[in-house]
Amino acid sequence: MTLVFQSLRKEYGEVVAIDDVSTAFAPGMIHGVIGPNGAGKSTLINMTAGSYTVSSGSITLDGKRLDKLKKYQIANSGIARTYQNIRLFDQMTVIENLEVCFYPAEVAGTWKEVVWPPYATARRQRRREKCMEILRFFDLQGYAEVDAGGLPYGRQRMLEIARALICNPRVLLLDEPAAGLNHHETADLTAKLTALRSPDRIMIVVEHDMDLVMTLCDSIIVMHHGKLLFRGTPAEVQASADVQLAYLGTANDIDDIRAAAQDRRAQLGIRTRRRS
Amino acid sequence: MSVAEARTAVRPRSSRIVPLLVFAITIALIVATPFLPNYYVRVVNSLLIYILLGIGLNIVIGYTGLLDLGFVAFYAVGAYTYALLASPQFDLHLPFLLILVIAACLGAITGILLGIPVLRLRGDYLAIVTLGFGEIIRIIINNLDWLTGGPQGIARLDKASILGLQIARPVDFFWLLLVVVVVAGVVAWRLEHSILGKAWAAIREDQDAARGVGINTTNAKLAAFATSATIGSIAGAIFGASQRFVSPESFTLQESVLIVLMIVVGGIGNILGIVAGAAILILLPEVLREFAEWRILFLGLLMIFLIIVRPAGIVPRSFGPEKLIRGLFGK
Ligand SMILES: Nc1ncnc2c1ncn2[C@@H]1O[C@H](COP(=O)(O)OP(=O)(O)O)[C@@H](O)[C@H]1O
Ligand SMILES: [Mg+2]
Repeated sequence: MTLVFQSLRKEYGEVVAIDDVSTAFAPGMIHGVIGPNGAGKSTLINMTAGSYTVSSGSITLDGKRLDKLKKYQIANSGIARTYQNIRLFDQMTVIENLEVCFYPAEVAGTWKEVVWPPYATARRQRRREKCMEILRFFDLQGYAEVDAGGLPYGRQRMLEIARALICNPRVLLLDEPAAGLNHHETADLTAKLTALRSPDRIMIVVEHDMDLVMTLCDSIIVMHHGKLLFRGTPAEVQASADVQLAYLGTANDIDDIRAAAQDRRAQLGIRTRRRS
Repeated sequence: MSVAEARTAVRPRSSRIVPLLVFAITIALIVATPFLPNYYVRVVNSLLIYILLGIGLNIVIGYTGLLDLGFVAFYAVGAYTYALLASPQFDLHLPFLLILVIAACLGAITGILLGIPVLRLRGDYLAIVTLGFGEIIRIIINNLDWLTGGPQGIARLDKASILGLQIARPVDFFWLLLVVVVVAGVVAWRLEHSILGKAWAAIREDQDAARGVGINTTNAKLAAFATSATIGSIAGAIFGASQRFVSPESFTLQESVLIVLMIVVGGIGNILGIVAGAAILILLPEVLREFAEWRILFLGLLMIFLIIVRPAGIVPRSFGPEKLIRGLFGK
């Protein structure tokens, strides 16, 4: 199982948000996506999850094209996500936010639920047990019957991840899960995400918190102006002059950055060993 | 702080009293109605029909969050189904129950047909387009003279009967409507709490995020339109049978707006709220009959007052039928 981006491109009118990105994500690993604001990280997530269409190129999971599917079909192919700006079902309770994810599997029995209460009760109970299990993992069990919109911010972030996880997705896409969390909450989140690493799951985490990224991720891609600037392990990323320059933001064009980096290395007398 | 404490202190008792009171009044009304003069029984019947319409429309507006201003179209479909299949118009005289089934099916079909073109619309746009649909159906009925009798309508509809039992007097319709309202209410309430109902709520809260958790929003919305229209159409068929006369006048935009108001004033998304809203908007004009011209003004003021003091409706969404039942048994 691999998630593959092939010559991926996204334009918003004149703006090229993603420019010829090709890469692959293996299961069992946590992949970090970093880069300055506007680099196109969220756009990558949005295209993978089907929230945005793909301008050209393709996204495949296990050789199956995803970019031609509708958003709900992509979700049902085992791809789950969170949003950079939290999007919960605010006026539904915490547990209902999770229960509703069973819709694709259970909707066929709706009329049986309506006319045969014992069936509805049994099914509901089974559903809620699974939900409670996930809620316990995220320390949300005490909030099950509270409206999601009324949760404290940090809890909402957790609930959104829980909602993404409830149907055991093959691909988990997290867009800045630590944004707005305090130090303590971020540490907690890091521990939880580490525990979610699974050989059957591809995890992709967009994040600005470098501590979290460096601790959590096995592999990191660096985006800059819609291009894939660098890919490597946390150590390699930290060592990369390209990346440092991109974050310092002195030059806009990726080629300028490369050239500038080359110059700097030359000045410092460093011999470069290029990846990708 | 002290206010909150006071509230929680009072709650256990009041949460028991209100359900008991509501229950007592309802039972008293039901028991008393058959003994009232026909005029009042008709008022109660009209109330029940509006509650039925409210239960239907609430599926789309309250559960799914789609503002539909053309609901009266389905009401008309049901009424004309009865009128065409049980009258001298085409000399067809099908049995009432069969017509109810046909009306339900036709309602579902028109619900889906009118739902498909508006799937992409929300909010104001949806309201305007559905409003247009409602008017289109009325105008078609008004102009298809050979089929619908045009503005004159269709008269001398058959007396309804169920398995040989004649349904003709207002009291008969009272019992029939009571049964249908209870059944529709229970079905709508169980739908709300089914997995489909949760998907409707998710669509209401955030349609795009709903798609993101795998909900086929097209199907879920069409299911809402279809069930809602089915209930509207059944209400129409019963209305036709009880009036034994139908004409386009009964299906104006005003009716759609009235049903929406009932839902909003009563408590959007809550069947108990619909009953409350219908009671106010249907019964109050009767009570105020003597003040003819002042009626609308008074209703308008009441509406403004209610929306200010109870913006979530008289009975808010959080106080659903399950709370009432639990309150009754003191749990
Ligand atoms: N819906 C949109 N419409 C137009 N432009 C957009 C939209 N979403 C993102 N962009 C633009 O695409 C670029 C990449 O944005 P985004 O993917 O959100 O970056 P990141 O998540 O890395 O901060 C930015 O220039 C942004 O302004
Ligand atoms: Mg972003």
